[in-house]
Amino acid sequence: MWSYIIRRLLYNIPVYLGILLLVMLALRVNDPVTAYQGKNATAEQKEQLRKDMGLDRPFLVQYGTFVSRVVTLNFKDRSWEEKRPIGQMIRAAVPPTIMITVPQLFLTASISIVIGLVCSFYRGRLPDKSLMFAAVLGMSISYLVYIMMGQYYGAYVLGGKGITPFEVEGYEPIFSFEPNAPEKASFFMPGNWMKYCALPVLIGVIVGMGYDTRFYRAVMVEECTRDYITTARAKGATNRKIMFVHMLKNAMIPIITRIMISLPFLIAGSILAEYYFNIPGMGRLLINSINSKDFPVVQYVTALFAAVVIFTVILTDVLYAVVDPRVRLS
Amino acid sequence: MRVRISKLVNFAIVAVCVAGVMHSASTATAQSSTGKKKVLQLPIRTDGPKRLDPAQGSTTYDNMAIVQMYETLLINKYTNPLEIEPLLLAEMPTTEDDGKTWHFKLKDGVVFYNPHKENLFGGSKTRPLTTDDVFYSLKRLADKKNQLKNWWLLENTIVGFDEYKETQNESAYFDYDAPVSGFRKISDSEFEIELVKPVYRFLYILSMFQTSIVPREAVEAFGDDFSFKPVGTGPFTLDTWVPKISLTLNRNPHYHDVRYPARDDWSRDDRRLRMHRAAGEQVPFVDRIEFTMFIEDQPMWLTFSQNDIAYTEVPAEYFEKAFDKRTRELRSELANRGVRSHSNMLLDFIFRHFNMEDPILGMYEEDGSYSEKHRAFRQAICYAVDLDEFNETFYNGLNVVYDGPIPPGLDGFPSERPESSSRGLDLVKARQKLVEAGFTVVNGKATDAPTIDFYTSRGGNNQEQTEMLERQLAEIGISINKNLVDFSTLIEFVDNKKAQFFGFAWSSDYPDAENNLALFYGPNESPGSNHGNYKRPEYDAMYQNIITMPPSSERTEIYVTMRDMILEDAPYVGSMARERFYLINPWALNFKPTERYWSWFKFVDVDDSLR
Repeated sequence: MWSYIIRRLLYNIPVYLGILLLVMLALRVNDPVTAYQGKNATAEQKEQLRKDMGLDRPFLVQYGTFVSRVVTLNFKDRSWEEKRPIGQMIRAAVPPTIMITVPQLFLTASISIVIGLVCSFYRGRLPDKSLMFAAVLGMSISYLVYIMMGQYYGAYVLGGKGITPFEVEGYEPIFSFEPNAPEKASFFMPGNWMKYCALPVLIGVIVGMGYDTRFYRAVMVEECTRDYITTARAKGATNRKIMFVHMLKNAMIPIITRIMISLPFLIAGSILAEYYFNIPGMGRLLINSINSKDFPVVQYVTALFAAVVIFTVILTDVLYAVVDPRVRLS
Repeated sequence: MRVRISKLVNFAIVAVCVAGVMHSASTATAQSSTGKKKVLQLPIRTDGPKRLDPAQGSTTYDNMAIVQMYETLLINKYTNPLEIEPLLLAEMPTTEDDGKTWHFKLKDGVVFYNPHKENLFGGSKTRPLTTDDVFYSLKRLADKKNQLKNWWLLENTIVGFDEYKETQNESAYFDYDAPVSGFRKISDSEFEIELVKPVYRFLYILSMFQTSIVPREAVEAFGDDFSFKPVGTGPFTLDTWVPKISLTLNRNPHYHDVRYPARDDWSRDDRRLRMHRAAGEQVPFVDRIEFTMFIEDQPMWLTFSQNDIAYTEVPAEYFEKAFDKRTRELRSELANRGVRSHSNMLLDFIFRHFNMEDPILGMYEEDGSYSEKHRAFRQAICYAVDLDEFNETFYNGLNVVYDGPIPPGLDGFPSERPESSSRGLDLVKARQKLVEAGFTVVNGKATDAPTIDFYTSRGGNNQEQTEMLERQLAEIGISINKNLVDFSTLIEFVDNKKAQFFGFAWSSDYPDAENNLALFYGPNESPGSNHGNYKRPEYDAMYQNIITMPPSSERTEIYVTMRDMILEDAPYVGSMARERFYLINPWALNFKPTERYWSWFKFVDVDDSLR
């Protein structure tokens, strides 16, 4: 397995270098300095920024520099907009995003798989139809509407009555490592997660469940018709065992595919949730950088995202072999 | 065994959730019971400041944050933000040659305070402010390393400064010690600045946040990180800044002697609101300021409703939740909670400009003579446009429609409609003017009027506004070609004098109508700020005169004359200004919102018993 992983990583090196090349070319189709500073900037101002950012050097030199910095994880280039090292910005933005997207992915997948199993078991009957109706309804309503309603009822109305601990917006870290801030001295503060992350996660789960439930139901319904299910029934296995052991095991390939596809987006974050709940995550970082034409940040975040996608694809193949002995890594 | 493990996992999840709920409950209790430190929570209605370096700041939000930590020589008055007073100076600057040379004396007891762990001031945490700091801070605006964003403030203003900028930026090393002939140091606390020509607005420029005074040691020690490690003389110091999320400031323990305005400085209306209650007391009153950035309006509104921020602007879509639209009275449910409302007119000039060099709409004929026909055509357009309908449709009727380029609140603003105004809606006059312009009018519509190219930027409701303009002008037979372009393209068209008729807006840089009258000063033609290329010699002569004049009734009279000249020539269709509404929670005391300047948070106090 390890030789397979190393081989796949080596195969992907030229792919990744190609992606970095494309990213750099795409961001240079129009002059990034003019795009950032606007047409009112003087030639002197534009020239100064080009010089400061090394954009006056030959393209290949710029490319080499960028590749070497990405490979060595040296993200010391500074954002045009905020003048901070990009690595620092990314490091600050990843934890809030993870605090939302990981629980959201875990909960959405678990609940959707269970509902998918239940629907497949009762397929065509009232529980199946009701759950599918709820799923379609859930995904038919705009994410934005959920956010608005969640903020208003979940945080403002119910929070005001002390029923929920949710905040309308904001973010406080769950782990505190700030020796200079005695008031934040507590090391682990799960309450902060409840206050600031639980509501966005809940909304994300409600929206995501609609899509996932329909997908997992289709997978499970297909599994229901397999011979091994009939055999298990004939052997007297309980419904619970059939669903949660036999069916689930055999449905792992599409489940893993579905979950792994979502993984890179954990890094990209949930742009809408982060915007509306004022959470300083990767989604906001990326969208703010695009809006403000902060080209170095866009370049590094895209490079990071591409790396995560490549690792995910390799990891998915490895997991196939782990869950299905018939799959051989070669 | 498996069952046990799953039970343990379930138990752990429940335990974490319960601990979370209990923790949040306990922290809430702890926060409410402390009450020792006074904390002022404030909103910023956007993603906040981009940088905390005065020389590189440019937006309102940079301003909002920077002026809490840095200070300028002069400052707007809290009691009347249209006036300025000394801040880092012992007294107002004096001049003996009608404003060409200004003499400054720094205030005693002002120190820079370094809250960071780095040693900047030779082992001390503070250092007194000196003349050299002032010159150094102004020179930073000339350094291309600071992107020259704010160089326009001092361009062509100080003797020898433009030459200094050119020389230093061309050399390998920008020498801050090289002399500028217009900067004359008398002592560590006294200096003179000589101007190229007398310009009264120079004093306003010295009250703008970009000219805040910074210590050279900090800039040189922190380099690119200076924006993240402010060291100033202001009432607050930086605690934490999470860009686009929050900004927390602590009280500066070494803040110099600044007192709350005296009772008599407040108007009767303000005294009725007990704004003078803290008269004569040392500021700031609060120990900590916590800014939260709100990109979206709903979270800001709900956070205000939860009593968690001192005030909120009233977004247009929430206006009817806050006020009765007809009477503009605060809703009773808010009034009963003790919420106060306040409104300010913004120094806006929203208008649609004609290119005065255009062969059809311009001011002069090809032979250079003044064109009465063209003027009549422009006036016809002005009479046909119903700004009140725009106001009702797009601004809830909350904007102020007015005449001339001088916004409400400034000297020269007309209290009633001047005779020279061509403001609509008056279709009868519009048709008369069309006839005067030489067009044939049949059934109320010109049959031979040329189509006009109208340019405006994309975004907002500009598409709908342009369609309304098209419909209104169609009433008198004038058609327009609509060109909705991105803002930079619009600027390009305007700068190259290619835009025949275009939508524009101007927000005054400082509270003096001279700033708006400059928009019609001939030498400022495109690509300068006179985007419509209006040129009238007698107007230009008057403008040359007013830039050296301090405020006086004589100057106001000239403003009125200039305003009426512009109205007479009708170089634009306008005008409109926005009014900003605020709600203030009862626990925020001494609170009088203004957007003219932002360093007034030091005057605000909080009463936690009213939360």
